[in-house]
Amino acid sequence: MKRLANPYLFGAVVVATIVSFALPDADSFRVPSLARIIFWHLPCAFLTTGLVFLAAWFGLRYLGSRDTRWDIRGAAALELGALFGALTMVTGILFSKVQWGEWWQNDPRQTSFLMVLLILAAGLSLRAGLSDEKKAASAGAGYALFSLIPNFFLMFVFPRLPQVRQRSFHPSETIQTGGFDGAYWTGILVVFACLAWVTFIVYRLRVEAGELTVRAEFADGNREADRGSAAPDRMVRPVPVPPGGGD
Amino acid sequence: MLAVRDLGRKFGPRWVLRHIEFSLEPGEVLVVRGRNGAGKSTLLRLLAGLLSPSEGTVALPPGPLRTAVGYAALDLALYPGLTAREHLQFSATMRQIEDSGDVLLGQVGLANAADRPVGQFSSGMRARLKLALALQASPPVLLLDEPTASLDEEGRAIVDTLVDRQRDRGVVVLATNDPHDCRQATGVLQLE
Amino acid sequence: MKEVAAVFQKEWRAEVRSRHGLFTAGLFSVLAVVAMSFAGYGLRPSGSLAAGMLCVTLLFSAILALPRTFLIEDEQGTFDLLRLIGEPGPVFVGKTLYNIVQMLVTGALLGTVFLALSGVEVRSGPLLVAGLGLQCVALAAAVSLCGALVIGASNRWVLAGAVAMPLLLPQVFLGVGALRVALGEGMSAGGWQSVAGLAGFAVAALASGPLIASAVWREE
Repeated sequence: MKRLANPYLFGAVVVATIVSFALPDADSFRVPSLARIIFWHLPCAFLTTGLVFLAAWFGLRYLGSRDTRWDIRGAAALELGALFGALTMVTGILFSKVQWGEWWQNDPRQTSFLMVLLILAAGLSLRAGLSDEKKAASAGAGYALFSLIPNFFLMFVFPRLPQVRQRSFHPSETIQTGGFDGAYWTGILVVFACLAWVTFIVYRLRVEAGELTVRAEFADGNREADRGSAAPDRMVRPVPVPPGGGD
Repeated sequence: MLAVRDLGRKFGPRWVLRHIEFSLEPGEVLVVRGRNGAGKSTLLRLLAGLLSPSEGTVALPPGPLRTAVGYAALDLALYPGLTAREHLQFSATMRQIEDSGDVLLGQVGLANAADRPVGQFSSGMRARLKLALALQASPPVLLLDEPTASLDEEGRAIVDTLVDRQRDRGVVVLATNDPHDCRQATGVLQLE
Repeated sequence: MKEVAAVFQKEWRAEVRSRHGLFTAGLFSVLAVVAMSFAGYGLRPSGSLAAGMLCVTLLFSAILALPRTFLIEDEQGTFDLLRLIGEPGPVFVGKTLYNIVQMLVTGALLGTVFLALSGVEVRSGPLLVAGLGLQCVALAAAVSLCGALVIGASNRWVLAGAVAMPLLLPQVFLGVGALRVALGEGMSAGGWQSVAGLAGFAVAALASGPLIASAVWREE
């Protein structure tokens, strides 16, 4: 936890917060002063996207090597992906209420991101549903890899479909065609850098905690074996049977 | 032919088996004994490739696992809707070997029940069919977990004959506490 | 290839002798369509609504029936036998092919009964057949993989549905996009674009499924 109490990190969070309040209002929105939640909404969405791909990459590495370290990294990426997915959802819902008057208005972009979040939640429940660690690790890795197909569609193809663009209130057009001015992008990048730093630290902590748990379980198993309660901790070799039978 | 080095398996934090070491040469029959929960079945599942080791290695004869190892166990289930002959046909196709189903069924005393669905079999008949499936690919390594537990005298005699024949082409590992099964043993592994 | 055919044949024999999977899926589909017909008070749904109802019913019948081919092996304890005698790849492909056939039969039955009871007019037969068929293939491929992944879980039947459902929602979206045009709403080009999307999904799922399932099944 000491790493999270880093003064530089604290300073970066303060700077990011100040930047997101200090920049001029976005006049193209209904309530310009409250549109600045975008500074936090977009970086959360970027991080979710990155973490989804990272989880799939770690899944691929795990299935290729069966090395527990990749499984721990995959689980960490998935959990953080779900966290940032939820934050994207919450900030998006707040934006929707303020700018469009409804918490939830079945906007295709809202719905598609909810689907991404559900896929991440399903990945977490799959891991939790399998009690055997190895099985959970390989199934989780397989799911993370396969879910790239719908996730890729929902994140990159779906928002660009003409029928979705027509029906959606989401300012994708503004974002994708560079409709934001330079100051806005600066704000988004500052907050993104800050959040990415926090994410990296939390990710490292989660990975270290996972590796410590594995080591502790191994040590516990050794102790149990030493006490003789689980299995004899000694070499077991067969003995020849004397002539005349085995009993 | 079969070499096990420092083999261990844990479930969760609990080690069920640790530091198991042995090697077998053709003609040897190893009997694995131990109280309930000592890890006999786990050891055989590790040797059969149904479980992966938490530590250590199992060295088997070269070739695909499905033809190198024959495995029969009490808890190995069969398809209730398929007949004995269909089981052997299916298994032969999957193992990419020639189907010698009728010969095998004759050897295990199931020739008359070849076309009956396994769902109608007694536990002894199922045990015989599992033996036939285990022997189908003439594997160099035969693993039998409690092979005579549900068999009558005739069935036990069949197991004795098949184990004897197996010694000519490879090794046998038997997990059992039944004194009858230990008669052909050349070595014993006592798990505690 | 022989191994794939052997797995398919085994599934077919089990189905013919027990009539569990196809019968359950078929019965569910017919019941769902009849229930929708009742709930609609005889009103004729619009093309978009009809397409949505058809795709959601397909989704639920897939989730209800398809994981069975994998989970039954786990439940009756025959998965070990399968792993002892076969390689994971052909086993997965054989079972997935069986699921595709089962889903195509279910889709044909469901589509026919739905159109007969709802009275919705078909504007483009080829688009309806292509959309429905590819939807069935894509659903079967994805649900098969999810069934394979949850083997070993204590609550595997529920988990298979929970895990598969979010993965299938984009396919449902594309299916609705194709079928609504086939049933009289929207532009023809948009319908065929959705069919192309469904085909992409089906190909991606069919190509990656065996590789992922093999890697996951390799060891326990």
